[in-house]
Amino acid sequence: MSALSSGLGSLPATDKRLLETCFGAALAALALGIAFGAATAFARAGFIELGPLSGYRAMTSHAVNVFFYWLYFAQAGLLLAFAAVYTAPQRGIGWRTLAWTGVALMLAGFLASLYAVAAGLPLLYDAPPELAREPSPAVAAFYAGYLALGAGLFCVAAAGVATAVRPLAAGELAEWPVVTFASAAWAGLLMVSAIAAVNAFFPAARWAFGLGPMPAEHSTGWHILFHNLHYLPLMATVLVWYVLVEALTGVKSIFGARFSKIVFASYLVFVPPTSLYHMFLEPNLAEAVRVIGSLLSLFISVPTVIVFLVIVASLEVNARSHGAQGLFGWIRMLPWANPVMSAIGMAVVNLALGGALAFVLIQEKLAALLSDTFFVPGYFHFLTVGTVTLTFLAALAYVQPALTGRPLWRPQMLRWLPHLATAGLALFGGAGVAAGYLGAPRRVLDVAYDGAAPAAWAVLMSIVGAGGALMAAALAAYLVALFTGLLPGRARARAPASALPELHWGGTVATAQRAWTGPLAVLVLVGLMVAFTVLAFEMMKALPLGASGGAGH
Amino acid sequence: MRLDSALFMGVFVVWLALALLYATVPMFAMPGYAAVWGWGSLIFLALAALIAGAARRGRKRRRAAPGGSD
Repeated sequence: MSALSSGLGSLPATDKRLLETCFGAALAALALGIAFGAATAFARAGFIELGPLSGYRAMTSHAVNVFFYWLYFAQAGLLLAFAAVYTAPQRGIGWRTLAWTGVALMLAGFLASLYAVAAGLPLLYDAPPELAREPSPAVAAFYAGYLALGAGLFCVAAAGVATAVRPLAAGELAEWPVVTFASAAWAGLLMVSAIAAVNAFFPAARWAFGLGPMPAEHSTGWHILFHNLHYLPLMATVLVWYVLVEALTGVKSIFGARFSKIVFASYLVFVPPTSLYHMFLEPNLAEAVRVIGSLLSLFISVPTVIVFLVIVASLEVNARSHGAQGLFGWIRMLPWANPVMSAIGMAVVNLALGGALAFVLIQEKLAALLSDTFFVPGYFHFLTVGTVTLTFLAALAYVQPALTGRPLWRPQMLRWLPHLATAGLALFGGAGVAAGYLGAPRRVLDVAYDGAAPAAWAVLMSIVGAGGALMAAALAAYLVALFTGLLPGRARARAPASALPELHWGGTVATAQRAWTGPLAVLVLVGLMVAFTVLAFEMMKALPLGASGGAGH
Repeated sequence: MRLDSALFMGVFVVWLALALLYATVPMFAMPGYAAVWGWGSLIFLALAALIAGAARRGRKRRRAAPGGSD
């Protein structure tokens, strides 16, 4: 049994309930997000008709539930689980009352946001106050929900740090394990993001409660928060890969704990300098800052790529020492029949596609052309659904049996769901990106423009709708499986995730082994980035549009 | 634990430098950025100090334990 399974099993009952609450709330938010996301995609495709208010309400509900509550309830639970299990599982979660308070605040935020979207004007997830026009209880609830979520995350992160620090101060540990260190780094970034949430939404909340003027700088505050909200789930994703790959195969990093800690710390070093690209659409930004921001943005994926290389090289070397042949033969040896492994595999593929497309968008000259097109939802679903959501679902699929003692529901079916979700994503993302290159706008429910729009837009949006249906079906099946395991009522029998196929390589590799797959994958990634950029230029040059004007700008 | 503490100190230095840049260089003048990265730098300074202090207490306890050594 892996350290993760046995550690979760030995947590105190109250901590198990806390984690189950986090994961249950995360799944509830995901369920709402999927329902409203499917409705939005179907409306865009013309499969169903939604009026403007219902349509934007669906779009807002989708984004708020998925991007804020699903991702952060899941992170809250995983952070506490990793910090407790890899530091001192018998001790359980530190500052438990604070952790419960944090989760209660997050739940209050969740309810406030649900009320705000249902009762008020749909503000989209960035909630610019000028869209609301005037204060109202629903608008106030929108901002109060986000502030409660931020306050809750701060409390949970502080409890995570306490969980990691207490055994150290008690002399039970001389050194933190890598996962504990990475969890502390993750907790630190969560706390900073809570501060960023206050910076972004507190002035708007004061205005909405009738206590202050409408904030003039809402978009700048949002950009800082938004940057952190990009980085946090990705940092969590690679840490989950690191944990789950060890749990599934027994393989630890061949580069050692010291190097792994440096890589996880590098995430934090790269967060602030790479944030400027969010400001590219701001007209007052100095040209020199744009150039510097464009150059710095190239570094955004460096820590993720390094963690990927560490994991892949460690797996490849261990597989070769266990007899793997050929350049890619080692990949076949991995336990793909385990739904957790298949989800991680598809998450890696989707990260490569989403990451390569992201580099098109964050180039300073292309950002202005693509930011308001359907390119944006087209590419970021590769990251939010294909990478982060599949990874978190994989983590929940591993954690749930160990936590509850109930076996995972239909693992033979679950192993194929990541493939189904990725197929849907290929349709949704591929058609969405192409539509964006052809100028189809985002955040618009009807792209027909009374027949004046290019015919290709309608065809591509139909493909987007079909892809959305496949993604929604795959994720809904995951929800059934995970809810079935979490809901009370079924007999508890010890059924750890290790009942599913796993490897037990581990140990020390005796001889030097070649590991070329990681570097080759990075070359492919760079090739994809160049190809998508060239494609962007070629497709946009082919648009039947022209512009004329004076020398002013 | 020296490495863990040092890594968080490194994060503190980078974030503080950026906060100062956003607060003081006119070309980069963005008070919101300065505030978030500045407060963030303090969080990582606190983390570094907390870890160093906890490790020191832990070492003392291990030494004080019967037959204990570090």
